[in-house]
Amino acid sequence: MTNGSTTHNERNDLFIGMRASQIWGTLGWHDIRQRYRRSFLGPFWFTLSTLIMVVVLGELYSTLLQQEITNYLPYLAVGLVIWQYLASSVNEGCTSFIGSAYLINQIRLPLTVHVCRIAWRNFVILLHSLPVVVIMLIASGHWPSPAFFLVPLALFLLLLHGVWIGVVLGMFCARFRDISQIVTNLVQVAFFFTPVMWSPEILKDRAWVATCNPLYHLIEIVRAPIIGRPIHFESWVWSVGFLIIGFGFAQYLMQRYRNRVPYWL
Amino acid sequence: MFPTGCDPLSASIIARDVSVEFPIYENSHRSLKKAVFNLSTGGKIGQDAKHHSVVRALDGLNFDFQEGARVGLVGHNGSGKSTLLRVLSGVYAPVHGDLKIQGKVASILDVSMGLDPDATGFENIYLRGILDGLTPATIRNKTDEIADFTDLGDFLNLPVRTYSSGMVLRLAFAISTSIDADILIMDEWLNVGDAEFSAKAAVRLGSLVDKASILVIATHDPNLVAKICNRRIHLQHGRIIEDEIISTAARKSI
Repeated sequence: MTNGSTTHNERNDLFIGMRASQIWGTLGWHDIRQRYRRSFLGPFWFTLSTLIMVVVLGELYSTLLQQEITNYLPYLAVGLVIWQYLASSVNEGCTSFIGSAYLINQIRLPLTVHVCRIAWRNFVILLHSLPVVVIMLIASGHWPSPAFFLVPLALFLLLLHGVWIGVVLGMFCARFRDISQIVTNLVQVAFFFTPVMWSPEILKDRAWVATCNPLYHLIEIVRAPIIGRPIHFESWVWSVGFLIIGFGFAQYLMQRYRNRVPYWL
Repeated sequence: MFPTGCDPLSASIIARDVSVEFPIYENSHRSLKKAVFNLSTGGKIGQDAKHHSVVRALDGLNFDFQEGARVGLVGHNGSGKSTLLRVLSGVYAPVHGDLKIQGKVASILDVSMGLDPDATGFENIYLRGILDGLTPATIRNKTDEIADFTDLGDFLNLPVRTYSSGMVLRLAFAISTSIDADILIMDEWLNVGDAEFSAKAAVRLGSLVDKASILVIATHDPNLVAKICNRRIHLQHGRIIEDEIISTAARKSI
């Protein structure tokens, strides 16, 4: 009967909100169904548009960067799919509370529910784009390495990253309305600095540009096991460490400002 | 007047010095430019930013509602009635003071809350149930009852945007009154639909109100207060200027 949605407070909002999977799961799915209502392909439009993007960009950039296309296509496919997830987690994280104002001002729910809804929605889109990666792997004759078992774990980490990003950015953007514009711009710039289309090896002695970028490591924990690149322990340390810091910060903001958010909307 | 069963598990609302202030962020206040500017210049403008104007919507409210309380909130527009209802339903946390609420709260503030015009009637029933924290099984049990009550038949399989406004209200009413709670918070009595439906709705609302152990309703209708409430609280500028027990309260609503 009750899912604890009435007993949360600023201290356990994150925890209780994340456990209310019934609520955010339903809302997230509903969002996706709404977007593709009356469409024939439905969410598989995500698959198709990713496929087109990967094939076109792959042709072009494998020539520009002088890469072997059979290696480049899977590399690009994973990178783009994960990048799309991260970019929309950040961009939509900015509107996590503003966009749910109509609910926040009417019904008391853990605020984290509204964030998880967005994270889950983006994660479902990510899962719909993954078949492109499989197609590219098969087309270029790769077989998954034994390290493949790391992929689900890495994807789960990415889902969790979506949550703290949404809490932190959602709070800042609810209070300061300019931040979402700044963030959108930064995300665009970050795309070119992050090894999605290019691999860090071609930077040679300036590889630190990639290896000091947390986004690179978040992509790499999924990309390396899928396409059989060497697995860097360092990437996992970055990803988990970044997650802990992020959740710590999200928890701090919740404790201080959770009850202020409805007043800001 | 009030039943004296005050065991710790019974429903109750206790407010001590509850105040609510809404900060007013003008465009420039809410922007980052202002905050950064304040950091670099400090002093004067920093203070300005910290002392941005606020609207004090509720000002030091004290009250106890125990089981059996039927509270009518009256007052002019802008006297704080709706804000108080939102505080009681847990949307706004008091800026100052203490509020202790015992029992499950349900509120009917905006009947069409969360109705998605592109989703079907059935989907809306389901979504709303999920938002109210019900399990899918419970919602399935309730769905038939709600569907019957609306008399919308096959329309429930169509998107809500194809409904007439009266039909939307029927659906919204049926959904929002399908809740059960110890404490019921309402903004005005609901009157919906044509004569026939209206009578049916009144019965449904009446039984919902009867089941709740505490009712708090904001209204502009003095007759309604006389009919269903046993306590009347008059708000003005966010303060309680009158808090009286109505002895002639009819125990049966409607």
